[in-house]
Amino acid sequence: MPKARLSFNRRAAASLASAPHARKLPAMLRLTQILGNATDPDIAERLHALEHDGRVESITLDAADTARKRLRVATDKGTDCAIALARSESLANGAVLLLEEDRAVVVRMRETVWLALSPRDLAAALDLGYFCGNLHWRVRFEGSVLKVALDGPRESYMARLAQHLADGRARLVDEREGG
Amino acid sequence: MAESAEALVAAAPSAARVGIGGPVGSGKTALIEGLLPLFAARGTSLAIVTNDLVTQEDAERLQRSGLIPPERVVGVEAGACPHTVIREDPTLNIEAADLLEEQLRPLDLILIESGGDNLASTFSLDLVDYWMFVIDVSGGGDIPRKRGPGIVRADLLIVNKSDLAPHVGVDLPLMRKEAEGVRAGRPVLVTNCRTGEGLDRVADHLAHDVLMES
Repeated sequence: MPKARLSFNRRAAASLASAPHARKLPAMLRLTQILGNATDPDIAERLHALEHDGRVESITLDAADTARKRLRVATDKGTDCAIALARSESLANGAVLLLEEDRAVVVRMRETVWLALSPRDLAAALDLGYFCGNLHWRVRFEGSVLKVALDGPRESYMARLAQHLADGRARLVDEREGG
Repeated sequence: MAESAEALVAAAPSAARVGIGGPVGSGKTALIEGLLPLFAARGTSLAIVTNDLVTQEDAERLQRSGLIPPERVVGVEAGACPHTVIREDPTLNIEAADLLEEQLRPLDLILIESGGDNLASTFSLDLVDYWMFVIDVSGGGDIPRKRGPGIVRADLLIVNKSDLAPHVGVDLPLMRKEAEGVRAGRPVLVTNCRTGEGLDRVADHLAHDVLMES
C-alpha cells in the first residue's frame, strides 16, 4: 500500500474521533421484517384494538420510496425508525413492520398525483409520447389519455409541457387520481 | 437444516446499496477512494460496483488502489448511455450487486458508481436504497441553478473540488446556497476528495441514513 494512502488513512481515522456520529442520539427503532398487511384479517383485528388506544404509528411514504429496502424515517408520532429489509421484501401500502402488545407501526403510501393529457390527434400523440419518454417521465396509458406521474413539483412538469398545451397539441384533462 | 439456514440468510436485511452519480470528472471515483479508509476505520464491510462505457477503467483503478481487496470490486460495462443501466434497465448492476453480496456475505454496504453522465441522470430505487450526486466547482457555479434531476432529486448532493473555487471564479458559499434552494431540504455537502476534506460528513450521512448505525 503506498505511503500516501497510509498517511491519509491515519488522518481519516483521527477525524472520526470528533465526527458527529460519535454523539449520542435518541434511540431508534429497528424494523427488519414485513409481518403482514393491515388488511390481513388477524392483523386487522389486532390493529383495530391498538388503534382504540392510539398505539398504532404510521410511516407515510411516497410510492417511489416504497422500492427502497433501507430507509431512515420518522413515524407520525415522531419515533425514529431504521427500516432495513431483505431484498426479497417489498414495502407496500398497509405493510406492518411492528406488531406488539402495546404498539404497532404501519406503512401508509401517499397517493400518486397524475397529470392526465389528451393529445389532439395521432400525430400529437406520437409527439407527446416521444416528449415524455425523452424526459424519462413515469407514465401510464388509459385509452387515448396519457397520464404522467408527478414525481416532483407540479410546476416543473407544467413548465416542460407549456408549449404543447399552448399550441393545442395536448390538453389537460384531469389532475388527480389514486395510483 | 441447510434449507433453514438459507431461509434465515434470505430473510436477513440486505447490504445497503448506495448509488454515486454525476458528470464526467466530477470526482465520483475519488469520492469512493476517500470514503474507503473511513469505512475501514468504522469496521464497515464494503464492496463496489463500477460502471464504464466500454472498459473496466474505474474498477481497475480501485482494484490497484490498495484501499480495498480487488475481489471486492466488480466492473460493469454499460455499453450504452450510463443512465440506461442505473435507471431504465439496471439488471446488469443488480446482478453484479447480488453476486458480490452472495460471495462476500456478510456485507454492510455496496457502492454503485455510475459512469459519468449529465445532470439528468438519476438512479432507479429498484437498484439502490439511496443515491448521491457529485458535481464540482470547476463545472461552473451555475450548475445548481440549472436544476437537473440529479441535482434536485439525489438523497445527498456533493459539491466537490472546493479548493478550486477561487481559481475558476466560483462563489462557493453562493453555489451551496443555490444548491440547497433547489433541493427542498435535502442535504448538500462540500468536499475536497483529494485532501479528504468533508468526507467524514459524507460517511456520517451514510452511517445514519442507510447503515442505521445510530
